[in-house]
Amino acid sequence: MLARLLILAALAPAALAAPVVEEDAIPGLPAVKVQDLHYGDVLFYLYQQDHFDALVRLAAYRDQGKIATQARDSELLRGGLYLSLGQHREAREIFERLLADPSTPQDVRNQAWFWLGKVLYAAGLYEDSDRALRQAAGTLPEDKEAERHLLIAQGLLYRQRYEQAIAELSAWQGPRYWIAYGQFNLGVALVRAGQPERGLKLLDAVGQLQTQYPEMMALRDKANLAIGYAHLQAGEPAAARLALERVRLNGPFSSKALLGAGWADVAAEQYQAALVPFEELQGRDLLDAAVQESYLAVPYTYGQLGAMGQSVQYYEKAISAYDAERSRIGESIAAIRAGHLLDAAMKAGGDGREGWFAQLSTLPDSPESRYLYHLLAGNEFQEGLKNYRALDAMAKNLANWQQSLGAFDDMVETRQQAFRQKLPGADARLATVDVATINGRRDELQGEFEAAVRARDVRALATAKEREQLAMLDEVDAELARPAAELSFDESHAVWDGGRWRAAAADPRGDVREKARLARGVLLWKLDAAWRVRSWQTSRSLRDLNAAIYDARTRESASGRAREGAPERNAALGARVGALSPRVDALLARVGEAKVAQAYRLADIAVRELEDQRKRLDEYAVQARYALATIYDRAAATDAPAKPPAATP
Amino acid sequence: MKSALITFLAALAASLPAFADEAAASVEPSADRSALDAEVQGLRREVVDLNRDLFMLEEDLLFPASTQVAVFVSMDVGTFFALDSVQLKVDDKEVANYLYTDREQDALKRGGVQRLWLGNLKAGEHEVTAFFTGQGPNDRDYRRGTTLKVEKGVGAKYVELKISDSVSQLQPEFVVRVWE
Repeated sequence: MLARLLILAALAPAALAAPVVEEDAIPGLPAVKVQDLHYGDVLFYLYQQDHFDALVRLAAYRDQGKIATQARDSELLRGGLYLSLGQHREAREIFERLLADPSTPQDVRNQAWFWLGKVLYAAGLYEDSDRALRQAAGTLPEDKEAERHLLIAQGLLYRQRYEQAIAELSAWQGPRYWIAYGQFNLGVALVRAGQPERGLKLLDAVGQLQTQYPEMMALRDKANLAIGYAHLQAGEPAAARLALERVRLNGPFSSKALLGAGWADVAAEQYQAALVPFEELQGRDLLDAAVQESYLAVPYTYGQLGAMGQSVQYYEKAISAYDAERSRIGESIAAIRAGHLLDAAMKAGGDGREGWFAQLSTLPDSPESRYLYHLLAGNEFQEGLKNYRALDAMAKNLANWQQSLGAFDDMVETRQQAFRQKLPGADARLATVDVATINGRRDELQGEFEAAVRARDVRALATAKEREQLAMLDEVDAELARPAAELSFDESHAVWDGGRWRAAAADPRGDVREKARLARGVLLWKLDAAWRVRSWQTSRSLRDLNAAIYDARTRESASGRAREGAPERNAALGARVGALSPRVDALLARVGEAKVAQAYRLADIAVRELEDQRKRLDEYAVQARYALATIYDRAAATDAPAKPPAATP
Repeated sequence: MKSALITFLAALAASLPAFADEAAASVEPSADRSALDAEVQGLRREVVDLNRDLFMLEEDLLFPASTQVAVFVSMDVGTFFALDSVQLKVDDKEVANYLYTDREQDALKRGGVQRLWLGNLKAGEHEVTAFFTGQGPNDRDYRRGTTLKVEKGVGAKYVELKISDSVSQLQPEFVVRVWE
């Protein structure tokens, strides 16, 4: 019974080993092709892990109608973003709304089922999650299909339906990355279903994976740890050591693996070898249970070797280390009660994206920060700290808006004042422009041009100089048409004949008429030759004129609208600023209160956890003192070398 | 010795994190914790909604649709060009000079579209010029410019600066496109 309990204990993290739901990729990606620039802008923030800004922009662009083309994709994305922020209710509402809408296309519906299943899984509603995930069967891309399958199996494991989980996982074939998780979980299911041999065989395969991915290395370590302890419990120390040696020395499971390896050596009566992993542990953080145990294991092993001097020395060292650690824990509890824990947690920096967790491990040693990283191993504290950091980010965000709203208020007021000041001048300028008259003149010109084109009136497109020349020729023609008798001497080319003027024998205007006719012919020929070019140029000029008049009319009407609507628009903006200000103030106050409550809660969790640690160290210190007293008693009772105490550790 | 080992292992098992009981406990949190978590969730929802309203107010106030012009940067594949910075000029006046982080470059490569500049322009013709600086083929320093005349009308105008790969020329391409 105990053996099974130990294996299960070692396997317990396994069911949580699959990629974390809330940190996973968001729906619709990466296959989405951007069809709306603003949708792309949301993705720009999403891909930088800035889920809050992505969600805000998505909500704003959606309400502004800027992502109409990708409305369905954006809804899936919105649900995924809420899920990534831990807002399960909102995410669930969105996916359920999509599914309830009969116009939702089938491919979007399939994705919505999958994501709804994930939301329900994250909320611990495994039955509902199972139903939703099964709706999406066979419709998803390979990696999502694999994830769907694993989530169903993990849900079954959580509900202790091991046989069903085994059936679900046994026949499953998926991508290599996911197969390892599947094998691991199948191994877990088999062990839990009372088939340890088959289960351990599968786990052994996972424990020998060749991989460079950190997640897979962690999975491999977990498998080897579980196998090692199982063999240790079964009285097979050699097999146990083989598996435990495969656990990385710098991984999160290395302390447990070192401890197990040491005990495997002890079980094989290889005491000298056992000291190597045990002593390696002594240089590590004393808050680790495996390290605490190693402080008892080392003197116990020396005792087994008959080295009572070293055994005493190491028991004393253990007592001293436990006392020092208890004292440090006391200091930390005092610092936490004084409210300094979260100051340290917030010093880790980061900008709300990934990475801040790891930074906590590098904080300088101080009573308030010393155990922070250790505390984060607890799910409750970790979730609480995430919430605290989220509240802190919300408070900063709202404080920034509070400042901006003050500026917005001033801006609206300034704009209203400027409008009042500039209005008379603008009106005066607008009064000097009569677009309607210009438009009328344009219509006349257009009519004249079209008439000229219809009649091929080349004179209509003559230049000013040509018009002058044509007019002169007209005058000449008119003059030549008059009877000769009406002509003056100057005009008639009279002849002086012996003291008096007499008319010339013949009318001399024939030459002039011929010259005028020639000149008119040349001029008309030139006009005719230029006709095509000039008519094209005129046509183009009229088009340009049309465009310019259109612009002028547009601007005139825009100016009119601006003039007419400006006071109302400014007033509406002022009202919006006025309505949002109290919302920001009220929310900021509530966030502040929640932040204080969250801080108290975190302090309580931290103190409770550290008190438990201190109690455990107390117990270990008692055991060490008892062992030491036993050694001294035996040494005093006999001249012979003392035997190690049997009941230790 | 063996009984001692079993005692120890039992103690160790009890100290393992993410124990089955703890996993169950995380699913059913205490009433206080649940209430506080629910409050945090409710607040976050309200903060998101409020930010949406404030975001829209800010745009309406500072960049009304009648004068609004937005310039976006996108990248298609990006094999032949690693973007370092973009300088944007409108009517020969610099309006943006942006230096990209690794994270932003990655976001662009994955299909994100950056809204590089949001501003106001009066109706009429404007010249938009962008200079892209980065690493071109064979890791050589690369600087290219592209220009487009944009006719700003009554409504908002969106301009996309797109960096894509010309597979035939093994060179990056820089295209400006106007969206209505």
